[in-house]
Amino acid sequence: MTTSTTDETVPPQDDEPLLDVNLLKEIGQKALVDALNSVNGAKTLVLDASLAGPLSLVIEVSLLKHHGVDKMFWLEAGPLTSTTTNIVYLCRPIIKYVKIIADQIKAHAREGQKHTYTLLLVPRVSTLVPRILEEEGVLGDVRISAYNLQFIPVAEDVISLENENAFKEIWVDGDETVIYNSAQALLTLEKLYGLFPRIVGKGDQAARLATLLTRPSASDSSTPDTLQSESEKMDSLIILDRRVDMITPLLTQLTYEGLIDELIGIKNSHVELPVSLLTPPAPGAAAASTAPPATGPSLKKVEAKKKHHLTTATDPLFTELRDLNFSSVGKRLNKVAHRLDDDYKGRHQAKTVAQLRDFVGKLGGLQSEHQSLRLHTGLSELLVPLTRTDIFNKTLEIQQNLLASYEINSQITAIEELIAQGADMQTVLRLLCLASLTSGGVKPKALENLKREVLQAYGYNFLPLLLSLAAPPLGILLPNPLPSNSPPALAAAKYPFTALRKSLRLLIDDSPEALEEVENDISYVYSGYSPISVRLVQCVAQKGGVLSNPAEKEKSTGSTDGKGQPSSIKAQAHPIAGWRGFEDILATIPGQTVDIVQGGKGGGSAVTAAVTSLLRPMQKPTTTVVFFLGGCTYTEIAALRWVGRQNRGRKFLVATTGIIGGNDIFESISGISKSARSKDAAI
Amino acid sequence: MSTERPSSRWQVMPDGRTFYKRQQLYSIPGKLPNLSDYIVAGCRYGGPIALMRDHTKLVALGRTAPVTTKAQLQIYSPAGEGLLLFSWDQGKIIRFGWTADERLAILNEEGTYRLYDLQGDYQQYSLGSEAGEMGVIDARIHENGLVALTGSLTLLEVKGWEGTRPLTLANPALSQPPNSWAVIPPDLNISRHVEVLLSVDSTILSVDNLESVDQRLSHGPFTHIAPSPNGKSLALVTFAGTLLVVSSDFQRTLAEFKTGDVAAAQGSIRQVEWCGIDAILVTWDNLVVVVGPFGDTLEYYYSGPTFAVTEPDGVRVVGPDTCDLIQKVPSSSASIFRPGSTSASAILYDAWESFSQRSPKADENIRSIRPELAAAVDECIEAAGQEWEPYWQRRLLNAAKFGRGFLDLHNPTDFINMGQILKVLNAVRYYEIGIPLTHLQYIYTSPAHLITRLTARNMHLIALRISTYLSLKPHAVLKHWACAKIMRSRPSATGVGMEAELSGDDDVCKLIVEKFEQLGDVSYAEIAKRAWEVGRAGLATKLLDHEPRASDQVPLLLSMKEDRLALVKAVDSGDTDLVYLVLLHLHKRLSLGAFFRLIEDGGSQLAPASKLLQVYAREQNREMLRDFFYSEDRRVESAVLSLDEAASMADPVAKIAAVRAAQKFFHEDKDRGFDARLLALQQQLEKESDGKVVFFGLSVNETIRACTINGMSKRADKVRSDFKVPDKRFWYVTMQALISTSDFEGLDTFSKSKRSPIGYEPFVRHLVEAGHPKEAIPYVARCDLPKRADLYVECGEWRLAGKECKERGDKAKLDALRQRCPNSLIARELDQILASMK
Repeated sequence: MTTSTTDETVPPQDDEPLLDVNLLKEIGQKALVDALNSVNGAKTLVLDASLAGPLSLVIEVSLLKHHGVDKMFWLEAGPLTSTTTNIVYLCRPIIKYVKIIADQIKAHAREGQKHTYTLLLVPRVSTLVPRILEEEGVLGDVRISAYNLQFIPVAEDVISLENENAFKEIWVDGDETVIYNSAQALLTLEKLYGLFPRIVGKGDQAARLATLLTRPSASDSSTPDTLQSESEKMDSLIILDRRVDMITPLLTQLTYEGLIDELIGIKNSHVELPVSLLTPPAPGAAAASTAPPATGPSLKKVEAKKKHHLTTATDPLFTELRDLNFSSVGKRLNKVAHRLDDDYKGRHQAKTVAQLRDFVGKLGGLQSEHQSLRLHTGLSELLVPLTRTDIFNKTLEIQQNLLASYEINSQITAIEELIAQGADMQTVLRLLCLASLTSGGVKPKALENLKREVLQAYGYNFLPLLLSLAAPPLGILLPNPLPSNSPPALAAAKYPFTALRKSLRLLIDDSPEALEEVENDISYVYSGYSPISVRLVQCVAQKGGVLSNPAEKEKSTGSTDGKGQPSSIKAQAHPIAGWRGFEDILATIPGQTVDIVQGGKGGGSAVTAAVTSLLRPMQKPTTTVVFFLGGCTYTEIAALRWVGRQNRGRKFLVATTGIIGGNDIFESISGISKSARSKDAAI
Repeated sequence: MSTERPSSRWQVMPDGRTFYKRQQLYSIPGKLPNLSDYIVAGCRYGGPIALMRDHTKLVALGRTAPVTTKAQLQIYSPAGEGLLLFSWDQGKIIRFGWTADERLAILNEEGTYRLYDLQGDYQQYSLGSEAGEMGVIDARIHENGLVALTGSLTLLEVKGWEGTRPLTLANPALSQPPNSWAVIPPDLNISRHVEVLLSVDSTILSVDNLESVDQRLSHGPFTHIAPSPNGKSLALVTFAGTLLVVSSDFQRTLAEFKTGDVAAAQGSIRQVEWCGIDAILVTWDNLVVVVGPFGDTLEYYYSGPTFAVTEPDGVRVVGPDTCDLIQKVPSSSASIFRPGSTSASAILYDAWESFSQRSPKADENIRSIRPELAAAVDECIEAAGQEWEPYWQRRLLNAAKFGRGFLDLHNPTDFINMGQILKVLNAVRYYEIGIPLTHLQYIYTSPAHLITRLTARNMHLIALRISTYLSLKPHAVLKHWACAKIMRSRPSATGVGMEAELSGDDDVCKLIVEKFEQLGDVSYAEIAKRAWEVGRAGLATKLLDHEPRASDQVPLLLSMKEDRLALVKAVDSGDTDLVYLVLLHLHKRLSLGAFFRLIEDGGSQLAPASKLLQVYAREQNREMLRDFFYSEDRRVESAVLSLDEAASMADPVAKIAAVRAAQKFFHEDKDRGFDARLLALQQQLEKESDGKVVFFGLSVNETIRACTINGMSKRADKVRSDFKVPDKRFWYVTMQALISTSDFEGLDTFSKSKRSPIGYEPFVRHLVEAGHPKEAIPYVARCDLPKRADLYVECGEWRLAGKECKERGDKAKLDALRQRCPNSLIARELDQILASMK
């Protein structure tokens, strides 16, 4: 391997191990197997399609078969024919699904089919379900139990509840179930690793979650010891609710993985790609590692596209690429290609039999690398034309201008232009909301006009969506000034973007000397703009990084190489001391600020615990859990990884209700999916 | 206290290798009635026995208690102490048996079953209407459920004791009740599901919830079927009196024994029970016979009828005078006390005895077993656990301690634990408590289980002391104690009326709280619930005030009709499910108006509840949602709801009506721009196109597009003016529509209709994208000058692009084009142009 590939974006292979998130996967897998085994004999599994994706990350089809699953169907309206006596329904406790189930049971009863029904609810049994089944008159026929699927590891440092609708449920419906479930999932984490010594957070819903998490728990003999003492492995939990930083998901993600999500769409770590990209040209090439497992029985559907699991476990190249700004992906691919070529050429140097044997030994690795290079080159080729389109570039331009508060009125006109050109509803609304957020609202007249345009261009069925965007608690599309009769909550929710831009150093300007700075700051993920959410995390975990680039500082002291990567000694991460130093900035952002010190049972008062946490030597590597309530973007994950690499002794574990992009938000609020959900799930 | 060597009371099997012992647990002469007149059920793990008069047997009047027609159940501890006596007022009892947590399950012929605890409180459940109609004719009760045989000869299974709905097992298709039957409990089966064995004709059917399998035996019919404690083998007795032992998959016959050969046996076999996993106990009226694995027998005589209860490590036999435990002598005891044993542990024990007698032999002995000393010590500790008499327990532990002194390193944990456990076991074995638990059973059931058994007997003090001694948390005991306290402390009779009750409440509450605070925090909610159940609302409220967790308070508050408080607490808990629980409950109980008012009056505190109600109602109860919005005067929401409904309607008329209704709501609220006109217009358009084109439900853009495509450009213009569509958007939509139908003439006319507000570049781009570069060329000329060259290139017209450059004298651009050109032909042409420019 040539040495040239190791520069700033390759994650240094620190041997400090992270929390083992695979434990969570095993827990999820075992719980499902147990639930299935509680039903005797062969069974038909009826699956809620929104669960298929998350499930495929936890369990394989072969394992399901092993545990008596004979056939699998989607949970859809319409009759269900099953050859087995046992029917197991697996779904979230959503009323719609329960009604479908009731209908199917009633249909079976009419036709005289006799089945045993088991209903597994994810993550727990809801009072609603028995109630509805009772109203439908089938409660007596169903055995109801729960399958507690919580955090699913989607990468080695990311765990997710994989709930796509979390944002909508919290901020549009006002349904707090997600918050409760998140608290339960975080509690599971605490049960495994001990209490979070400190919980900091920002946002009203984050505060709600923090209270749920720190509420006195039932202390009977079943409480595990880990909940009695603070964790050794985790130093804090940072909770950010999505409302605190609405701007980030509205922007177009510019990292490799982020861009794939924006333009092709990643769902539950799976991306749909043309088959030609995934199958190797010649048989025999080591492709097994990248080809996804065969699709499930009875779910197969002939399609030119195929789901591919984007994971670093089988795809070493993806680790290198996923967090790069897309502009440097080509360069990197080129480098890898050259290296591969060199490595292949190694065979010419092989003179002796022993050398030849060495080469053949490496061949398997080379081929799989070759295959993954092929995949990513192809994927980039797919992306490039999409980034060349007029609308895409116009969108980026408007975004950058809005972030810089440059000629807002002409940006509004530009948005209108986009509507006329027939850009996507999501694209337009993202820009509109961005305009409203960055400038504290759009002029009433212009806003009314734009709304009318949107409704005419995309249909009046988007009216509820526009109303939800303008209503509290969301309020991300507002007129400025607010009408006098608007609820006070809206005025309170006004976002002080321009102040934050300065105090949190959000925007790196375009001057040439700043370009290098972009490379050395989390702002690279948006080519010059730093996500507020990650800046807030830095306020807690890397205070220096907010004010200036840590790498920059190193350079000025001359201890780094030209690339700005502190090569040998990284600064030791400082201990967590809450929001100290940034209280004023925090106060300007709407939403409550949380800072709780959790002591173990024997830890005594909060004060002493705080002192001990301050005094604790930071030599021990520790993990900081960052929880995004309402979802996070791939760029935020990438930025957090970047932050994590700047210091020694602290790793970040990203926990989230789901990985989202701006489009997902609008799709879930409007209830209209851009592309009809593919029937061919990965499971 | 017996100081004879334990082995003096052992019996040896005729094969001379296996020893059995009959350990007398309690002496109970005259404490129990004659068991042959009663139906008996015994509880495992040294639990009590329940008796009910067997009405099929004649009984001399006056010998027992006065005869009543009603069934009466008596419960006795193994020590013969009466624990409970109650009469049964329901239908005829079919079967009764014990659950794992020492409750008595009683099933009657109507399919109703009750679970009695040792205080006489019960829960009642039913097997469902089917069982009620058909009647239950027999049942088998195991620790974690029961299987009932209905009048229609089908089998119903109940799992657990929470009143779950019974499952129907596979139909064995019986024509008459089985001769005998038995159940292998789920936890002993590989499948983890219950298996029922029915003796039918000469064979046995094994039935589970999937299938009924005929095992094709020829020895039957059988009078007794008994599964072994580990579920791996079965003991069967034929009508001819042959005892067969087979593996539970019926593949192997393990032993065969003719009970007729037992000379002393008189009458019919009473019971067949297992003693350990390799011996079977067969009882007659006065005789108990242990049949070993090779057909060897040991006989024990009793003065009257007996009842045997299989334990994990032996079998408990309740006779008229004694309560005994018959078990195989455990290997550790055998190895120490077996006559002539030369095992290390025996020598260690001997050494200790010599030592305590100050004999020098001790040293010699210890030396001789030096290498095995550690194992010998362990064995002595283990053997101590097997002994019933504290005298021998102490001696064995002393021997172990003595041996330990010669070891450099020995982990004392086992020794300490054993000492502790024996202390506990001796305490509970005391006859007034009467739980003859062996060491193995104790390990098997866990200390916590023992504590609950003690509290169930209202023996709180010893339960608390044992928990403290074993450093268990005292919560369970305290909770039970408080409940019992509330039950017992009826408002005192000394005071008068209300006042007395209140002061009584205060006292009890204070008492309980004091105790709890002293011993750690316990959930008050359950205790408060108990107080509420016995009708002491005041006390319940007082106790609930001490409960820190909102979620636990809610169900009780609901049943106390503290609606608002319950809802507030539920919202506080953050558990949406709990909120739903309250909402659904209140919705059922309150009038709709009162229900809405309750939520509305809650203001921001109850806002989450209001939101949840909307989420629920939107899916399940639209009518209610409409009423809710209406009553709260929330017009925007009403309108959105109306729109939402419109979206799902197929019928145009209904749809328009719904949209109009929505519009009305909007107008009532504010001036929101909104058009139902569109739908009406679309309807008209559909009529005009003779229904060939679908317009209904399209957006304005799509309507214009559809008009253009279908040659109704006049109509498109009308839509545009009606809806004030801006020029730019109209041009884009029309242009795209025309391109998509390849109507280039139309496009040309359209482009010339007036000066394009969007310029002509989009024309070129869209045409190229749609794959019509040739048609795009004419529009390039109308574009801005500087862009033309590039646009030509996009159309694939390099030559024209070159010309364009030449006309403008832009040499740099031409050079750039030359760099990018795709083939040599074009390159040459460009070179020519380049040359001509010089």
